[in-house]
Amino acid sequence: MKIIVCVKQVPGTNEVKIDPLTNTIIRENVPAIINPFDTYAIEEAVRIKERSGAFIYGISMGIPAAQEMLKEAISLGIDKGILMTDRKFAGADTLATAYALSKGIEKIGEYDLIICGRQATDGDTAQVGPSLARTLNIAYATDISRIIEINNNKMHCLKITDDGYEEILIKLPALITVVKEINMPRLPSIKSMKTAKKSIIEIVDFQYVEAEENRTGLKGSPTQVRKTFVPVHKVNNILIEGTVEEKADKLSEILLSLRMEVK
Amino acid sequence: MDKTFNKMYAEYLRDESRQIGSAESIIFPNTEAEIIFSVKEMSLKNIPITTQGARTGLAASAVPHEGHIINLSKMNKVTGARYDKKEDRFFLTVQPGVLLSELRKYIANKSFIVTDWDDKSVDALKHMEKGQWFYSTDPTESSASIGGIASCNASGAKSYRYGSARDHISGLRLVLADGDVLALKRGQYIASDNRFSLITEGGREIKGKLPKYRMPDVKKNTSGYYNMPDMDMIDLFIGSDGTLGIISEIELELSKTLDVNWGITIFMPDEDRALDLVRALRQEVKIDNISLNLNPSAIEFFSHNALNMLREQQKTAEFSNIQELKDSYHTAVYVEVESDSNDKVWGEVEKLGEVINALGGNEDETWVAYNLVNLEKLHDFRHACPECVNLKIDEIKKSDDRITKLGTDMSVPDNKLKDVMKMYNEGIRENNLNAVIFGHIGNNHLHVNIIPGNMDEYEKGKELFLVWAEKVAAMGGAVSAEHGVGKLKVPFLKKMYKEEEINEMRKIKKIFDPAQILNRGTIFEFVEGDQ
Amino acid sequence: MADINIIKDKCVGCKICVGVCPFGAIEVIEKRAEITDRCTLCGACYKSCKFNAIDFKRDERESSDLSEYKGIWVFAEQRYGKLKTVSLELLGKAKELSSMLNTKVSSVLLGHNIESLAHELLAYGADEVLVMDEDWLNDFNDQIYGEAMTALISEYKPEIVLVGATSKGRSLAPYISSSLKTGLTADCTGLNIDEEKLLVQTRPAFGGNLMAEIVCPNNRPQMATVRPKVFKPLEPDYERKGKITKIHREPIGGFVKLIRNIDNSDGLSLSDAEIIVSVGRGVGSAKNIQLAKELADALGGVLGSSRPVVDMGWMPYSRQVGQTGKTVAPKVYIACGISGAIQHLAGLADIETIIAINQDPDAPIFKVANYGIVGDVKEILPVLIKRIKGRL
Repeated sequence: MKIIVCVKQVPGTNEVKIDPLTNTIIRENVPAIINPFDTYAIEEAVRIKERSGAFIYGISMGIPAAQEMLKEAISLGIDKGILMTDRKFAGADTLATAYALSKGIEKIGEYDLIICGRQATDGDTAQVGPSLARTLNIAYATDISRIIEINNNKMHCLKITDDGYEEILIKLPALITVVKEINMPRLPSIKSMKTAKKSIIEIVDFQYVEAEENRTGLKGSPTQVRKTFVPVHKVNNILIEGTVEEKADKLSEILLSLRMEVK
Repeated sequence: MDKTFNKMYAEYLRDESRQIGSAESIIFPNTEAEIIFSVKEMSLKNIPITTQGARTGLAASAVPHEGHIINLSKMNKVTGARYDKKEDRFFLTVQPGVLLSELRKYIANKSFIVTDWDDKSVDALKHMEKGQWFYSTDPTESSASIGGIASCNASGAKSYRYGSARDHISGLRLVLADGDVLALKRGQYIASDNRFSLITEGGREIKGKLPKYRMPDVKKNTSGYYNMPDMDMIDLFIGSDGTLGIISEIELELSKTLDVNWGITIFMPDEDRALDLVRALRQEVKIDNISLNLNPSAIEFFSHNALNMLREQQKTAEFSNIQELKDSYHTAVYVEVESDSNDKVWGEVEKLGEVINALGGNEDETWVAYNLVNLEKLHDFRHACPECVNLKIDEIKKSDDRITKLGTDMSVPDNKLKDVMKMYNEGIRENNLNAVIFGHIGNNHLHVNIIPGNMDEYEKGKELFLVWAEKVAAMGGAVSAEHGVGKLKVPFLKKMYKEEEINEMRKIKKIFDPAQILNRGTIFEFVEGDQ
Repeated sequence: MADINIIKDKCVGCKICVGVCPFGAIEVIEKRAEITDRCTLCGACYKSCKFNAIDFKRDERESSDLSEYKGIWVFAEQRYGKLKTVSLELLGKAKELSSMLNTKVSSVLLGHNIESLAHELLAYGADEVLVMDEDWLNDFNDQIYGEAMTALISEYKPEIVLVGATSKGRSLAPYISSSLKTGLTADCTGLNIDEEKLLVQTRPAFGGNLMAEIVCPNNRPQMATVRPKVFKPLEPDYERKGKITKIHREPIGGFVKLIRNIDNSDGLSLSDAEIIVSVGRGVGSAKNIQLAKELADALGGVLGSSRPVVDMGWMPYSRQVGQTGKTVAPKVYIACGISGAIQHLAGLADIETIIAINQDPDAPIFKVANYGIVGDVKEILPVLIKRIKGRL
């Protein structure tokens, strides 16, 4: 089986702070990390490999420094890392990203399964996965929380929805996006890190993947960011003080009166 | 007894030890002057005083023994800063009620309320800008107060590298039992010829003789009064559980933060090899001629039973998100490393892999975290152990509410590590008890947690602890490594020191507090009329 | 191709652009701005420069004739023959936008045995409803629904297509936009029309730390998925008249087959709750969640959770409130031990009263809370529950 995992390098958003004076994001010392959702995608691919054998490609589109992230992906169990890096890919929205990735994936050749994280933590769009599948013209399902079985070119899975779960059957080749319920990503071991340090990431550019210029990068992106601003939250707040008992007393009064309004 | 008081202030009659005391009055002073006023008032009436910080202690030091409570939680300001340019050292002056979590936040943000600071302090802050600093004492309970930390000489996981609270306290102000104030700077009062002489702010000279007992030769100890020939007298008050005076101000030294922070959990095929790995990490032994120099800030341990407990709990929702444990993982050692360079750490980790393999382990049976997101996963895994124990105890409590947590806090010298592990394992086996062992193995300071299934096992466990206290003392260890003696461990201390040695401690107390009004029943029993 | 450069002579090193860049891709070195390889050519910086020192060349696209695209479409999502509230919310918003564009609102209803819902769509603001009622549309399917929608859009040419940002909507919309090679903005929280009659789509970025305004100037339709609960539906007017058009098509096959639905049975859903008691990391341990559950039960509310608690496995993902979880709009929201990271606040829509209990007085949750208590959840909740139970 051949599996492709799409990964993205994102800023470690846990550390994003807002400068109270200028109301902008303070980005100094924000380390780049592997998109946390993608770690579930990697883990799921590795589990399939451990169960029934597979070769796992990890593909990413990003800046040259993203090589390190692909090495991290190798330490987590993928077999080969491919980085698509070219100024011509820059500024892509989800449509242009999906197109560029589809060209990179076409170069890999035949495959059975593409796994993506549900969304990236910097954009939160959750659109690249489905858009990539559509561009490659293969089946897809989003928000997969469990792979029950893979057999006869069909994959039996559970998908999370707003209302619960759906049990579905997907025809391969297919693309799935996975949610964090699907597994618990492992941490690298000293041994796997040694392997990763020695690995070489394949770097491919615009020309190699034979993409159309007007479908990649900023030029291939129908959507444009017109402006960004920092949201403001304003409320009148009342601090309830006193001993534990006093606080609970006052709060219970407030809650009981609010509850009357609700009913 | 005043029933309204007990109802209104019920929470102030207990601490994390879950012991409940009694009291008649309480005050929440805002300033040192208010402490003095209260102490003088009580001293005149000969009413005992119990001092409280955040009440997170596990040895019941803050549980009142009748009388009056002085709760310092409102004295929660950072009051100044000092920079030693020559040695590039940075100090903060804090009131005792500042919480560790608050202090950490102030330091991380380099943001202090400086309206009451003197100019020198404000100027010193500028020097803080140059680097990242932190306060290295890291007990698990971050809602502990700094006053409490000083009183029990707390430490934490990173004390393997950074030492305990004592090593970072450079100044103290104490309100004595008569309301006079004693101000001490490190280096100011050194005992000589086993005698000391201190001058209070009121101009009174306090003279005395140091006791004869010797403290155990261990890195972590907070069992009774500190005592060393030619000691710095400030050390007598650190770890004295509030029995000699009420701390009204503390000067702390900060450490410089290192940017690179790694955590590695290593699974070994059996306990003996795990202990060998610990010894290799401490550079006591060289394996296969590999010179390992990882310089960990913490070395922690998880016994086979502890891992099994986590394995079992993993099936429940509460712990389903801790890292998965393979069947072959027998015993675990966790190290945390701080450095200024990832490459340096990686070079050592590569060697660590070889050491693990040479010891019969497998470098693939490790979890490596080199970023904060993954480091947090390893921290969660470490914290899951005590949480699991608490969960189990709460479950058992439903059948018998007399049962409480049974955990040890003893440390031994480095060369007794294997002996003490043998002692714990045999004791548990012979008494047919269910227990998990985890904790700060780098300092030979393990927390053995007995999970009693019923009252009979609970009693057996308590007896076993007394037996262990005696044996640990015989090994040259300490019966309380970081929690303090408080009121709970008074019987343990008796196993460690002879009666005349404890009487020497009483004598020290009486020099400073002749009427024994401060924290009665703490470190040793209060004897009525013994004045 | 698009390119961006700093005009060195004009740059004074004022750092305004550094603050504006959402990707941290500008550094000021020796009083001159430099653009690093983190730049994504988003163009956010060049307008901010007061010295016109940023030279930004956007690619001009040959725009096809966009004027033939007219009208606003709302995808009517239904399940078991019941419309999703978000579709009704979107009709109300679409109605408002349509008056600015001087156009009409259409709703597309796909499914089987759902024809009767068309009247409801009219009542909530649709001027026209396109209905495809076919047995092969019985189960929602990204590909089948996507193909059907794509064909209809190609035929009718609406200028705007709005889809609710439900799990199905967010999965379906990219199929349509990719098929049509047009833009799609995810999970919008604001919609407006600008002076050029473009749809301005506001959405949170960087986990809600930043809001971005996004436009799709050269492609049609302009597509967006819109977060539930941000807009209010109109008061339904069942007398309202409109056109209902029934459409029949040949069946389309798909690669994904639904075996069965497993619906949540854990009572009232978060999105519908009037009172939510939500727990964060500050509850300390999994067992304290029981206290929050007890409070929720006593108040007739529902239990919610912040992300760390879900990450730790203490609560299921279905209970998560926030940017990567659900958006909620109860009357009362009680945050227990939730610090209030912006990612969490992004999930709090229109809430009348927020109550926060947290040990950390500086926790950001207190900035948005109407009532705040600084204290330990595990100490306060037991007393609070006792008080409330005593009064009910």
